[in-house]
Amino acid sequence: MSWSQVPFVVRRASSNLRELRWTHMLTSGTMAMTLFIFGFFMLLESNLQGLLKGWGDQIQINAYLDRGLGSGEMEGLLKRVRALPEVLRVRHITQEQAWRDFRAALGTQSNVLDGLPPDVLPSSFEIVVKPEFRAPPLMDGFAARLKQEKAIALVEYPQDWIDRLSLLVAGVEWVKWILGGVLFLITFFIVGSTVKLAILARRDEIEIMQLVGSSRTMIHAPFVLEGMVQGLVAGAVAVFALWGALELARKEFSFSGGILGAPDQWQFLDLNGMALILLLGWFLGFAGSVFSLRKFIKTWQAS
Amino acid sequence: MIQFHHVSKTFPPDSVALADINLAIDKGEFVFLTGPSGAGKTTLLKLLFRDEEPSKGQILLNGQNIGRLTSRGVARLRRQIGLVFQEFKLLPRLSVLENVSLPAEVIGVSRKESHKRAYELLGELGLQKKYNARPLSLSGGEQQRVAIARSLINNPTLVLADEPTGNLDPQIADETMRVFLKIRERGTTLIVASHDVELIKRYGTRIIFLRRGRLADDLERVTKEGKRA
Repeated sequence: MSWSQVPFVVRRASSNLRELRWTHMLTSGTMAMTLFIFGFFMLLESNLQGLLKGWGDQIQINAYLDRGLGSGEMEGLLKRVRALPEVLRVRHITQEQAWRDFRAALGTQSNVLDGLPPDVLPSSFEIVVKPEFRAPPLMDGFAARLKQEKAIALVEYPQDWIDRLSLLVAGVEWVKWILGGVLFLITFFIVGSTVKLAILARRDEIEIMQLVGSSRTMIHAPFVLEGMVQGLVAGAVAVFALWGALELARKEFSFSGGILGAPDQWQFLDLNGMALILLLGWFLGFAGSVFSLRKFIKTWQAS
Repeated sequence: MIQFHHVSKTFPPDSVALADINLAIDKGEFVFLTGPSGAGKTTLLKLLFRDEEPSKGQILLNGQNIGRLTSRGVARLRRQIGLVFQEFKLLPRLSVLENVSLPAEVIGVSRKESHKRAYELLGELGLQKKYNARPLSLSGGEQQRVAIARSLINNPTLVLADEPTGNLDPQIADETMRVFLKIRERGTTLIVASHDVELIKRYGTRIIFLRRGRLADDLERVTKEGKRA
């Protein structure tokens, strides 16, 4: 097909879209629903991932020090810890600082501490790990190395929570692809059926186009273009519907979304996410029409 | 221009439509293809525009073996051939002008240019005033003239017409044949399949008879050789 034939293809496709508009709208609607469900899981996944990243940024290892540690030994230990490749920064929390922090954390109930000596809490190092060392096995290895220091009595970090959230994100991602895959397959056949209807409605035209010397590409192109337009429209509708649903949830509901927090804290899809939905819509329309055309025109010509 | 070398066509399981056809048609000839129903007239035309492939033998069009064409080659072949059918095969959704210009647009001629060509052709065939009408609002003769205009839009070297007057009353059939004569004046080769004996007698310059898939007679050749008046 040459560029000079493109206007003809566009005219045929737009005329087909006009004439079978209800069928096309129904198909686009079905595709939009599929993409909306897929987009919902993308939204969930991206928000969970955002949460995971936020937690990761805050992750720190608390290394509690032996009580009898002299200031020289402490300085030496601090230097050694700072020199470790995993360490981004280290803060030394003295016993007095720990006591003040603890009282502040208890707030109005801090009077329960009255009568206790201010050196009851051990001094510690708050160690922030570099992002590239925050994966669970690396963190475990790093904590184990810290424990080997004689002056460090105890090492603590909230890895369990991170692991659980990572698992949840992975689960959401799996559900997204499995459910999305099933829905895409169903939609693929629905697109195919629409194209079949369009071919039936244009049977006489296809026959005449074949007789006057249209190439196969030229005959197929309007139908493929229709499929792609349907897919893109469906993708755009799905993105708008997702955005609308999120805005509605932000404005109208104040419930807590569990670990995700309230709806007004949720983030919408980034540009890549929106582009992916559009691209998936486009691909569904394209693949559904190409598949149907190859299958149906071959069967029809053979009959 | 056209050569059939021992061409046979058999439809499964064993229905012989054409058997061992040998013939040659020169550029610019006006040929009638006739014979009773089932003689193989339509099959012979279908072989020429590659709607069917020969089971045996070779068909050469301008020296090219059209039995060996790929689907792209078939499309290219059909762009050189104008086709006219008994049932007109016009698209009711499109206007007369759009119907006529369709084959040109399909091959990439701009809409403006193809409409211009179509309008001129409609003028030649006396249908310019009806360019915007829908085919179903036209008489049978007018519809057939639209179909003829469509067959000419890409200036084909060959026009094949399968029973073009089959659905028309004698007067309109006569008009249609005069249109074909006009086409011949352009130097276009014309092959018309028909069993209308009166029409053939009046207009036939060369008449090929088919009977049960075989070439029964080729009148012009006989006349040229002086064996039959």
